[in-house]
Amino acid sequence: MEQRRDTFIDNASAALKNLKQAERRDIIASFAPQIRAAAIDSFEGFGDLRSHVKKIRQHSLDNLDYYLSQFEKEAVHNGNQVHFARDGEELNSVVLDICQQHDARRVAKGKSIVTEETGLNSFLQSAGLSVMETDVGEYIVQQAGEKPSHIVTPVLHKSADEIRELFQEKHDLGPRDLHNTSDLVVEACNVLREHFLQAEVGIIGANALIAENGYCMLVTNEGNGDLCANLPKVLIVCTTIDRVLPRAEDATAMSRLLARSATGQPQSCYTSFYSGPRREGELDGPLETHFVLLDNERSNTLASNYREILECIRCGACLNHCPIYTSVGGHAYDSVYPGPMGSVLTPLLTSLEQSHLLPNACTSCGLCEEVCPADIPLPDLLRDLRHDESTKKLSAPRWRYGLKLHSWLARHPSTYQALTAISIGILYRLGRKRGGFSKLPFGSGWTSQREFPAPQEGTFMKLYKAEIKQNNGR
Amino acid sequence: MGGSARSEIFASLRKTGRGETQENVQRERLSLGSAPAPEPPATEVCEAFILNVLKNQGSVDCVSNRSEAVQAIAHYLYAHFHNYRLVTGNDSRLGAMPWRDAGVLPRFGSLEAGEPVALSYARLGVVETGAVVTWTGKATPAANNFLPKHHIVLVDKNDLVLTMEKAWERIHHAFEKTGRARGINFIAGPSSTADIEAELVYGAHGPHRWHVVLLGDVPVDARNIASAAGSDQT
Ligand code: SF4
Repeated sequence: MEQRRDTFIDNASAALKNLKQAERRDIIASFAPQIRAAAIDSFEGFGDLRSHVKKIRQHSLDNLDYYLSQFEKEAVHNGNQVHFARDGEELNSVVLDICQQHDARRVAKGKSIVTEETGLNSFLQSAGLSVMETDVGEYIVQQAGEKPSHIVTPVLHKSADEIRELFQEKHDLGPRDLHNTSDLVVEACNVLREHFLQAEVGIIGANALIAENGYCMLVTNEGNGDLCANLPKVLIVCTTIDRVLPRAEDATAMSRLLARSATGQPQSCYTSFYSGPRREGELDGPLETHFVLLDNERSNTLASNYREILECIRCGACLNHCPIYTSVGGHAYDSVYPGPMGSVLTPLLTSLEQSHLLPNACTSCGLCEEVCPADIPLPDLLRDLRHDESTKKLSAPRWRYGLKLHSWLARHPSTYQALTAISIGILYRLGRKRGGFSKLPFGSGWTSQREFPAPQEGTFMKLYKAEIKQNNGR
Repeated sequence: MGGSARSEIFASLRKTGRGETQENVQRERLSLGSAPAPEPPATEVCEAFILNVLKNQGSVDCVSNRSEAVQAIAHYLYAHFHNYRLVTGNDSRLGAMPWRDAGVLPRFGSLEAGEPVALSYARLGVVETGAVVTWTGKATPAANNFLPKHHIVLVDKNDLVLTMEKAWERIHHAFEKTGRARGINFIAGPSSTADIEAELVYGAHGPHRWHVVLLGDVPVDARNIASAAGSDQT
């Protein structure tokens, strides 16, 4: 992940001006929460399931060394080769080595955020390989030379018209009818089918690794990941070390949370488990299989106060509910991981120095934590990152001094109350006739966008004390 | 690179790990118990399974015996393709079906270009999700699950299990005898995508029709649900 994230504010401002994209984000912001809510409402034990999976995830992370080595042993027993990579560069090199050992020229890729994180596609392409994303959304994004804008629906930012134009330009298929969305899907899949059949190497991600039997779990609706896992002669599964769960039933328990939270389904169309090469007598399947397990700061995160973010199951619910994400979209974050989960994860995977603006992309509304099926205290983690930002003096001095002043006042309530009484009094007197202010000293952040309403006479504390006095006098 | 990366990663994990013995780790996991599963939509298993298959945009035929199964498959093939051809894996259970009685012409093997229909014999059906479970092997080439336009799946009533936990019990039990399969597939519907403007399209990379044939002593109410939905769809 090499992007700079100090561009968040500029990106966000630009995104807000793109009204067409904003419309599509509005649709997802209303539609996705509705289907999620319906799926969860129809499953009474969802809360208990969430707590159960949370305990399992905590237990797995507490004993990650044990479970990871158990997974490795079982995966090797199943005939896989297991590789470890400390960082993205190592993962990319391991994958390229495998491809070169097989003289591979074509790679079919299932959706994998981890390989987006490591920049695998461009690395393999610069070594002369043809790499094709096969998830319909990822394929469109790749053809357009863009990045995914959502971890579940990567091409959320593009309209059907834009995709139609893109296909007319990229696919040399002559005049044809691409009127309906289904025409676009069929065309993408036909183009990709050829690639599937020719690819020597398939690369997929994994939603979970299972320690007890050495399988990986792959959840998709399109089935493209399954084609990548079954058609090419070599299969490479790229994922991170924190994905290990003790048992197979833990993985499917997690899938109960995932499908409902991501797409409102009780189960995605394909929940598949793979481990090892083609067995004797089988007509298809890879002849050689590899797992490449990436650390890239996960072990450091595990040792930090932010370890709970490793429990994320990548459902996208926090993105769909976040007022910031749904206003500015995924590209504003300039990271593979956008939205609340990304605003926590990106600074941990890169550095706070590079990404300190992201934890500020938060209104502290708490919705992300409420909907998170992994029960991750996202607002707390974001606040702690902002605290670190301040401690490391990464935020603007004016902001830090303002916060210091605020914190001093909060610890001295009588001074706080006296000062607010004075300022409210002044604002009341100045504003009572006009009803609001279009300009205020230190308040331009507010008044540049909207009027600041004039307060009523007296502060809350003044009214509250008067009420108490009156009640006591009765 | 792999070796030193491995030892470095494990060294840092050991620092944060609890360093518990294998017995303690396993005891702790055991104490966490099993996950709650959703209530089935009906108390009778076939009914619940059928309702969930329909919810997954599948269609269902209920048949009492193998002869009826062949007839139902023949009917499906004719209704959609005006012929009786399909591809199926080298499953001895499928090999022994009375295909000729209904004029069905199965080709045993892995789906090839231009063949639109494949039939798989599921190992299990999961009531909770309305999914069928197959695992890879000679009997079920992966291509037959993921490449046809229409995927027909035969599932025995006796192989219905209530939850995914129960499915794993059965899978692990089966693998004790045969060894682990390369792939296990829980299939819950035709392939789909909603990537373009959140509009749901069936038949992305995989099948756009998914038809389940439930074989066994299926109660009348459950049969009625399946056939009512079937007549809605045709
Ligand atoms: S943080 Fe929670 S809600 Fe957000 S993607 Fe991860 S699991 Fe889903």
